[in-house]
Amino acid sequence: MISKFVGVFTTDRNLVIQIWDATLTRLTGIPSDNASGRPLLHVIPDLEIRGLTRYFHHVLEVGVVEVLAPAFHRYLIPCAPQTPSPRFDKMRQRVIIAPLQEDSRIAGLIVTIEDVTQRLDHEQDIAGELNRQSPEIPELMGALDDRNWRVRLDAVREMSKLAAPDAIAALLRSVRDNHRNFGLLNSALNVLRLTDVDTHSTLIEFLKGPDQDLRIQAALSLGEQRDVRAIPALLEATRDQNVNVVYHSIEALGKLRAVEAVDRLMEFAESKDFFLAFPAIEALGEIGHTGVSFRIIPFLQDEMLREPAARALSRIGDEFAVEALIGILNDRNAPAELIARSLADLHDRYEAKYQEGSYIVGLYRSTIKPTGVQNLIDALSTAEPENLRPLVWLLGRMDSPAATRALTWRLGSEELRSEILDALVRHGSTVTELLVEQLKADDPDTRGAAVTALGRIRDKRAIPELTRLLGTDPDLTIPIIAALTFIRDPAAMDPLFSLLGTTDAAVRRAAVSALNALGVPEMVNRVIPLLKDPNPGVREAAVCIAGYFGYPECIETVFSLCSDSEANVRRAAIEQIAYLEDKRAATVLADALSGDVPVVRAAAAAAMSHLEPSSVSTRLIAALADEDPWVRYFTARSLAKHRIVESASELYQLAQFDKFQQVRISAFEALCRIDKALSASVATSFRASGDPDLQKAASSALISGNGAS
Amino acid sequence: MRFHSEILGLPKGTETLLSDLVHSRTGIYFDASKIDLLMDKLSPLVVRRGFNSFLDYYYLLKYDDTAPVEWGNVMNALSVGETYFWRESDQIRVLTQSIVPRWLAAHPGQTLRIWSAACASGEEPLSIALALHEAGWFDRASIEIHASDGSSTAIDKAKAGVYRERSFRSLSPQRRARYFLPEGPKTWRVLPELHSKVHFSVANLMSEAEIAPLAVADVIFCRNVFIYFSEASIARTVRLFSRYMPAEGYLFVGTAESLLRLTSDFVLKDIDNAFIYEKESHVH
Repeated sequence: MISKFVGVFTTDRNLVIQIWDATLTRLTGIPSDNASGRPLLHVIPDLEIRGLTRYFHHVLEVGVVEVLAPAFHRYLIPCAPQTPSPRFDKMRQRVIIAPLQEDSRIAGLIVTIEDVTQRLDHEQDIAGELNRQSPEIPELMGALDDRNWRVRLDAVREMSKLAAPDAIAALLRSVRDNHRNFGLLNSALNVLRLTDVDTHSTLIEFLKGPDQDLRIQAALSLGEQRDVRAIPALLEATRDQNVNVVYHSIEALGKLRAVEAVDRLMEFAESKDFFLAFPAIEALGEIGHTGVSFRIIPFLQDEMLREPAARALSRIGDEFAVEALIGILNDRNAPAELIARSLADLHDRYEAKYQEGSYIVGLYRSTIKPTGVQNLIDALSTAEPENLRPLVWLLGRMDSPAATRALTWRLGSEELRSEILDALVRHGSTVTELLVEQLKADDPDTRGAAVTALGRIRDKRAIPELTRLLGTDPDLTIPIIAALTFIRDPAAMDPLFSLLGTTDAAVRRAAVSALNALGVPEMVNRVIPLLKDPNPGVREAAVCIAGYFGYPECIETVFSLCSDSEANVRRAAIEQIAYLEDKRAATVLADALSGDVPVVRAAAAAAMSHLEPSSVSTRLIAALADEDPWVRYFTARSLAKHRIVESASELYQLAQFDKFQQVRISAFEALCRIDKALSASVATSFRASGDPDLQKAASSALISGNGAS
Repeated sequence: MRFHSEILGLPKGTETLLSDLVHSRTGIYFDASKIDLLMDKLSPLVVRRGFNSFLDYYYLLKYDDTAPVEWGNVMNALSVGETYFWRESDQIRVLTQSIVPRWLAAHPGQTLRIWSAACASGEEPLSIALALHEAGWFDRASIEIHASDGSSTAIDKAKAGVYRERSFRSLSPQRRARYFLPEGPKTWRVLPELHSKVHFSVANLMSEAEIAPLAVADVIFCRNVFIYFSEASIARTVRLFSRYMPAEGYLFVGTAESLLRLTSDFVLKDIDNAFIYEKESHVH
């Protein structure tokens, strides 16, 4: 096949030309020797003047593909057309400038130059013909020599499909000679495919050709190209006299998942050829044909082939493979990392494919011996990071105190923590003592993970140690409270009450939640005096507990605390009275909404959503004009809940013009529930705003069907 | 599983909005597997601001007049304080034995600027100062060490210069005795002579305005922070470094971190068995 139309050159990052193929030499008249190794600007001196350099830099910097269209840029390299043209004195060129990737960095550029002069001539001929006949197109189309113009158009198309063997050969040789990353070749081939170049046929020709280096590179490349049309040729290439060609053909067949190659690959595996059996077994695993699993199991006994066999079995093995893998693991000095990874992968495959992961776990537990467990534990301290997770996964499924202890010691590892926590929690209270030990660990992350695990296990025996730790490490306080909430035992009540006086609002709220979860009846007697505690934090917390349980003995005090000297106490009381079903609530909330500090006004506005709409509507509408944005924000929400129609015009004004976006969104969402026409108008302006939050609000309203359609 | 947000009564929702916002402002990326961790870290902040939902807090961070202050709290909550003296000391050795002499020979009489860009509580820049001191460089050349972190809490700790036992896990007892004074049970204070060699400040790596004055350094240490960043954030940060660093600048990243796929402004070099990125000479 002869390349007539597509020439290729490559550059490094500094735009120094590396490859200049023979087609390009023929197209432009510039010999390779005059181009290779020289800066692009020396070879095409007017590049800068014509403003084309920036396209090359842009591709290098951003990694995009730039196309210089012949209609606009006309040509990259000025030269005469290959065949004389009635229209063009210079060759018209379609130019593609693409990045060459190497290890995911841009290593240079590949530029394809296609001579499109003839094609443009043909197209313009056809266009002229059609134009001449266009006034009567319906009739004349039939009269036109239909067959003739189609043939011509096909010819035009074919021109661009011709292979570029010169360029591909040059690229293959460059990979070989310069020891370049293979990814570079693939990125180059991908670019050539963009130009409709038939890289496949060319690579097959090279695979069958006389140059053994090109055969190797072609086999490699065909594997990467993922084109199953290459399978027959690659199978044939496994009989090549050059062992490297065979090696890469085997690998390529694996990548192409060539089921038809299984028997041939088994021949290589069973030959135990030092060089070829390894890739053959790997390829069998990649192909995924489960039928050969039983033939691969024996290779586990062969130290040289154990690794590819274990990996292949993780992809195609069954229960017999599990037993064989565990058999290896039970030996002294077993390759625990390798086996653990295979077993974990095999389990995941069974779970994903058949939802039978537990079957594999059962097999594994019933066949592993203490030596196998110890091998896994020993591997934990020496394993490569990527192998730790499978080891943890296997150990976590063991009924072995030694395994559990080993996992507990690893709790500090951020990467493994979630896996270890799940494993320990599965063991339940049998690991409580081990975890309590870890509460004294030097590493704060380990202590935190132990607290979390103890909470999830819910063993009351952990309470004394957990409560002892309260207050010793601020970062652990909330996790400990959370753990105590999970364990839910009255023994935690005193320590939790002691936290109500803390200055940290988050700790206070966590302690209140934990106490509310305990729900011990005698708590009311502890709460009553706390409502009058000199510490405002304690009063605030006590109000929250009293309100949560609705203690009748506390109602009067809670109402009185709506006038407390501390804003946070007033806010807490305001939040609680809305739930007490007391007629005074509306008046108290209205007073707070109109006269208190912003934080209390906002709380009152939010609390009004729990009262009868008729008792709060007027006050809420008035509060839309509050000076504080958060008061307006929560007011709009309460109005939304009550669907107070009379607030529509005020909400519309806020949605359109408020200074704060959160208020606009809140008002819009309320409007969606109240007035569809007005909300639709707001939605239009939200969509046009360019603000992602406003646009999202408009879209959400549309999706939920709340007006704004 | 979320412990904090559950116990604090904060309903689920707004995860993506918040994680995207945190990512864009801090560079720290929480993928789906770590979203619970993010929400747990933010939960106490939500409650401390008196809110009952993450959405309200999101709006606060985005639109409220007090957002700048609140972002400081977020940075403090998200900062990873886990570090220690003499961490990955091969790179510090290469700094004192190869890069400093090379740089000073090429720039006689000039001041060498070193910036520790994510210094947490100060262990890294103090390790650098300690190594330069032991190599005698402070007596022979003008060297400035700047150190910053996005967390004001971390910088407050660095400025205080008091460290607990875990910070010394890789430092020999002899060095600890030489450069630190016992302060209390299991705590030590760095000697003022060493401490004064480092200028600490708060700077968010996502803020060009904040890091521009620092990134003019000839040597930047930015180690063990990119592991928490998205690729986009890493690329952006490295681009900023490159923009402000002088030619022939050196960038140190953690041994588990690679910039190869993300930048062409720096080339990876093996200098005396340590991997260090050097600014490409053509990058301006």
